[in-house]
Amino acid sequence: MLLLDYHNVLIHSLLTERFSGSTPVSIDQVVSDFDGVTFHLSTPESKTKILISIQVKCFRELVQYGAQQVLEREYGPYIVDPEPGYDFSVLIDLENLPAEQEEKHNLIMRLALMKRNAMAAPFERAFDEFAKLSEEASRYTTESAPQGVKEGGEVMAIHYREEEAIYIKASHDRVTVIFSTVFREETDRIFGKVFLQEFVDARRRVLTLQNAPQVLFRNDPPLELAGVPGLQNVNDGTLSYVTFVLFPRHLTPQRRYENISHIQIFRDYFHYHIKASKAYIHTRMRKRTADFLQVLNRARPENEERERKTASGRTFRVQG
Amino acid sequence: MASQTPAVVMDNGTGYSKLGFAGNDSPSFVFPTAIATKAGAGSAAGSAPGRPPVANKPSFLAGGGGGASSHLSAKRGTEDLDYFIGDEALAAANGPGYAINYPIRHGQIENWDHMERFWSNSIFKYLRVEPEDHYFLLTEPPLNPPENRENTAEIMFESFNCAGLYIAVQAVLALAASWTSSKVTDRSLTGTVIDSGDGVTHVIPVAEGYVIGSSIKSIPIAGRDITYFVQSLLRDRGEPDSSLKTAEKVKEEYCYVCPDIVKEFARYDREPDRFLKHTVTSPNGRSVSIDVGYERFLAPEIFFNPEIYSSDFLTPLPNVVDGVIQSSPIDVRRGLYKNIVLSGGSTLYKDFGRRLQRDIRHLVDARIRASEARSGGARSGGLDVAVVTHKRQRHGPWFGGSLLGQTPEFRSYCHTKAEYDEIGPSIVRRFALLGGPGSA
Repeated sequence: MLLLDYHNVLIHSLLTERFSGSTPVSIDQVVSDFDGVTFHLSTPESKTKILISIQVKCFRELVQYGAQQVLEREYGPYIVDPEPGYDFSVLIDLENLPAEQEEKHNLIMRLALMKRNAMAAPFERAFDEFAKLSEEASRYTTESAPQGVKEGGEVMAIHYREEEAIYIKASHDRVTVIFSTVFREETDRIFGKVFLQEFVDARRRVLTLQNAPQVLFRNDPPLELAGVPGLQNVNDGTLSYVTFVLFPRHLTPQRRYENISHIQIFRDYFHYHIKASKAYIHTRMRKRTADFLQVLNRARPENEERERKTASGRTFRVQG
Repeated sequence: MASQTPAVVMDNGTGYSKLGFAGNDSPSFVFPTAIATKAGAGSAAGSAPGRPPVANKPSFLAGGGGGASSHLSAKRGTEDLDYFIGDEALAAANGPGYAINYPIRHGQIENWDHMERFWSNSIFKYLRVEPEDHYFLLTEPPLNPPENRENTAEIMFESFNCAGLYIAVQAVLALAASWTSSKVTDRSLTGTVIDSGDGVTHVIPVAEGYVIGSSIKSIPIAGRDITYFVQSLLRDRGEPDSSLKTAEKVKEEYCYVCPDIVKEFARYDREPDRFLKHTVTSPNGRSVSIDVGYERFLAPEIFFNPEIYSSDFLTPLPNVVDGVIQSSPIDVRRGLYKNIVLSGGSTLYKDFGRRLQRDIRHLVDARIRASEARSGGARSGGLDVAVVTHKRQRHGPWFGGSLLGQTPEFRSYCHTKAEYDEIGPSIVRRFALLGGPGSA
């Protein structure tokens, strides 16, 4: 498994099973997803009506950036009032499903991607803003551009975890996405550094990667974030910033959907691979230990000199 | 954030792994504990499967030509991430290029490399959690060596940086799961657990949350044997379909435990509507119908009369349970008889618990009468035998874990990452008893 899925496997498998016509049973499950997202799947009224609720830590911020509209676009007719304690709910009636198999699959996938869609709003808004700005900017030369166009839009901050946030800023020629990451563990920090360095190096080395977004890595807040409130400038190395620069070729409507999914999962992907590398190193360590143990076992003398005894129990000792 | 996230409960058994979040009433995922890796990674060196291959000569002596180690060092890409777990593993193993491995044997983890990757995939692909944010509750079989616990802790804390860890004994969790039964009034952790899964059946006495290791008995009859037995009956009758899958379906859907086989045979002859038909639909759409007859009650009967199936193991389950309790310390025997808890898929047959209770009571009563006769006139106060069946039997240990993992005090019983860093792997040799006396 090299890549992480974007959808929630549990929702996907559960709905697939239910949609295929198996006998309805009551469900009541609270499950987690990455970044502190909590789902609640339940059948409050009857066994054929499945309520799916999602709770996102930064839902308030997401709504500011248009999450409600995105979710309405995706789940339109299924939306119900949010369950208490959750931010957003949809109700699926098993007796009232789309007829075609294709549509059913589509709906299942859409529901399983709920977290992705909720988080997608600020990205979509930034991409739209970029389109607008670039159109405006095309009317000016670099020098004569008015203030607003030159600088680009405001920085949108999503505090999706307690200590970490995503910042998105649209300009007329690019969209910048900045992750602030915290490593609680010394080892992880070193692994992380190697990884991030590799992003930069690989892009330089491999020709096919030239089209990939530029990745920058630094320990102090990048200039794009100047003036954003709530940035702690602690320079003890725990907090670092990863910047993705998305160029117009990444922002075309065809690429948009994929790119939003990719970039959202970045943090989890990053941490997954740090852990996978550790697992790999452990494999090698175990292997080497087994090798060394074998050497030790070989080093044992073949016929060890044992004390010889006579029948009466006296021993001979080798002189000298 | 870590203060609100539900604990992750993982019960990795020999056959199946049960994964989910504490507080739920059923595991989110149940799939085989299997991992399919690129063939040639481990088994190409020709050593026993499931162990790290050891070359004839250590790699540094052989000049880099030492079997799998050269494979390891020659690795340049991401081959180590090319693997599947669970049902996907079984599917992948059918195709070319992958070899299937079962990292757990007899309840204990045998291959740590595979287990580490299995966990990694369970956490990131299926459960989708950041291990840093969650506490973990893992299970272990009774008599698991402490070294295995330490290895587990090393992986959980060092690879995954999980926030906290608790390792509980499956039998104790199964006892906790029985608290949901209406028959259980005092939430004690004393009782006898009969854990019958696919491969083997264990009878485990637990006193005050501690397993009495010296008295554990295992029986080589479990779910798989019942399936084989059903299959052999179908074959003998010459049914049109007697595949293992069909036998399993018949076993799961129609089998029950009868009070007396002789009477049951007579009843079947009197009431022909007890014979059923089972329709098997094969993948190509053809369907055949097979008869289901005496195997309905004969199959689970092999627990009570093993001689109809096996020729080398002949002690009926009730006698084994009685023997286990008799070999336990005398002051806990009363508690062990009073709380016999069933767990695992092969205990789900209708009336299994009732029959077991009756048979054990017969044994106990006979012994009491004999000793009364020997003592010459002394009266015994009698002994209470109760077998507890409950709705969560199938995933008993998992459910017990879910139950205990959602309690507010669960976190204080865990060892945290900070404590691990301070003390080292030996910290997991001891855990405070979860749900035992002193807790809520």
